[in-house]
Amino acid sequence: MGTLEGKVAVITGGNSGIGLATAKRFVEEGAYVFITGRRKPELDKAVEYIGKNVTAVPGDLSKLQDIDGIAAAVTTTKGVVDIIVSNAGFTEQAPLDTLTPEHFDKTFNLMARAPVFLVQKLLPLISRGGSIILVSSAMHVMGIPNHTAYAAAKAALRSYARTWAAEFKGRGIRVNTLSPGVTDTPILDSQSEEHRRDEVVRMYLNMIPIGRLAEAVEIANAAVFLGSEQSSYVTGADLMADGGVGQV
Amino acid sequence: MGKLEGKVAVITGGSSGLALASAKRFVEEGAYVFITGRRQETLDEAVKLIGRNVTGVRGDAANLDDLDRLFKIVKREKGKIDILYASAGWGEAVPLGEITEQHFDAVFGLNTRGTLFTVQKALPLFNDGGSIIMTGSVASVKGFPGFGVYAASKAALRSFARTWLNELKGRNIRVNVLGPGPIATPMQEEVLTEEAKEMFESLIPRGKMGQPEEIATVALFLASDDSSFVNGVELSVDGGLSAI
Repeated sequence: MGTLEGKVAVITGGNSGIGLATAKRFVEEGAYVFITGRRKPELDKAVEYIGKNVTAVPGDLSKLQDIDGIAAAVTTTKGVVDIIVSNAGFTEQAPLDTLTPEHFDKTFNLMARAPVFLVQKLLPLISRGGSIILVSSAMHVMGIPNHTAYAAAKAALRSYARTWAAEFKGRGIRVNTLSPGVTDTPILDSQSEEHRRDEVVRMYLNMIPIGRLAEAVEIANAAVFLGSEQSSYVTGADLMADGGVGQV
Repeated sequence: MGKLEGKVAVITGGSSGLALASAKRFVEEGAYVFITGRRQETLDEAVKLIGRNVTGVRGDAANLDDLDRLFKIVKREKGKIDILYASAGWGEAVPLGEITEQHFDAVFGLNTRGTLFTVQKALPLFNDGGSIIMTGSVASVKGFPGFGVYAASKAALRSFARTWLNELKGRNIRVNVLGPGPIATPMQEEVLTEEAKEMFESLIPRGKMGQPEEIATVALFLASDDSSFVNGVELSVDGGLSAI
């Protein structure tokens, strides 16, 4: 018997990387998952990979009507949500000197604004208690050059968890951030326009006490923990799964 | 198949409260556990409660000779350690102005000094890939009147975790702090007045105190490979008390 037997989960950005690994692990633990993503072909591949108990809902979370679409899809088929994994994100580096309003808006729209409305619109569906997991980043407590917008947007999530934990008092809904360190996922390829992946990985490896990058499944296992009753007294917390990079 | 199949765990203070619940859970998940406690009677009861795959070793985690004896027994019986849960701890409310040397030394002697030497003495027996867990406290990041010395003794553990994380680099031993909030345990019953309990519950976003089993499940997470990339953190298990 899995630790998420009978649970219904919505996982944004569930078509690749940490989101996909989480969707896969959730289903293995007995959950039904709705995954969202912008690109239909990738979503189709993800559905095939996950294999069962999964529905893909295409959508761009920076558009509120797409979030409505996700809520509608869940309402129609399941009528309930137990776990939200707000995971959709990307990295785009920009130094303060030259960062543009477009860069700032794109970063904050997807990673700071969308989670608010995602949770707000799904909240009425969390009718039997639940767990909300906001995927942040160890970077939210660090100062890495060129991550002004990214780190700040992720810090906003940590703040939401505090406020919402207090707002959900007595409602049986827990909310936590999960802050991964550097994880071996396709998002690393988007670190720069020049695809300096090897260079980026080398830089990070020097910084990570555990001496390696995370596998996506290691972050997924932490999400299973936060999604399940195993963490029943954990709310408003920030679970860093970062190999120590944000701790030293 | 349990999550800790074949693992050897040492849990100080494992004869009561959170650590006892954790010891029980670890055994259910397939581990062999050594538990310690100062009182033989309590220890015997704990061993009986856990039922199997457990050795009780009487000793005071603040006493370095007792720690030597503990690890000698572990070495003789199992030869190795995969999980160390340094949980022996104690505190009582004493406001600034009334703090005695005895109070300071008793609290730091067990919570901070005792934990440090528990870890140091365990290290030679540690398998690479193991997990060290220390019991912190929500008090260490709050300002509860009267708990200044206790809070600081626990804050020191959070700092140890950061340093050891780098010092243990290369051995793949993870070290984390589990920071419980108010939990309904015998010690809480003893230490907190009715009024204090009500005050705490009103502050907890979850709305009610935690149960020892809810700490045990988190200790299990930190002890198992489910947390393989969680290293050097303090994981708050406090119903949201420290978050707000």
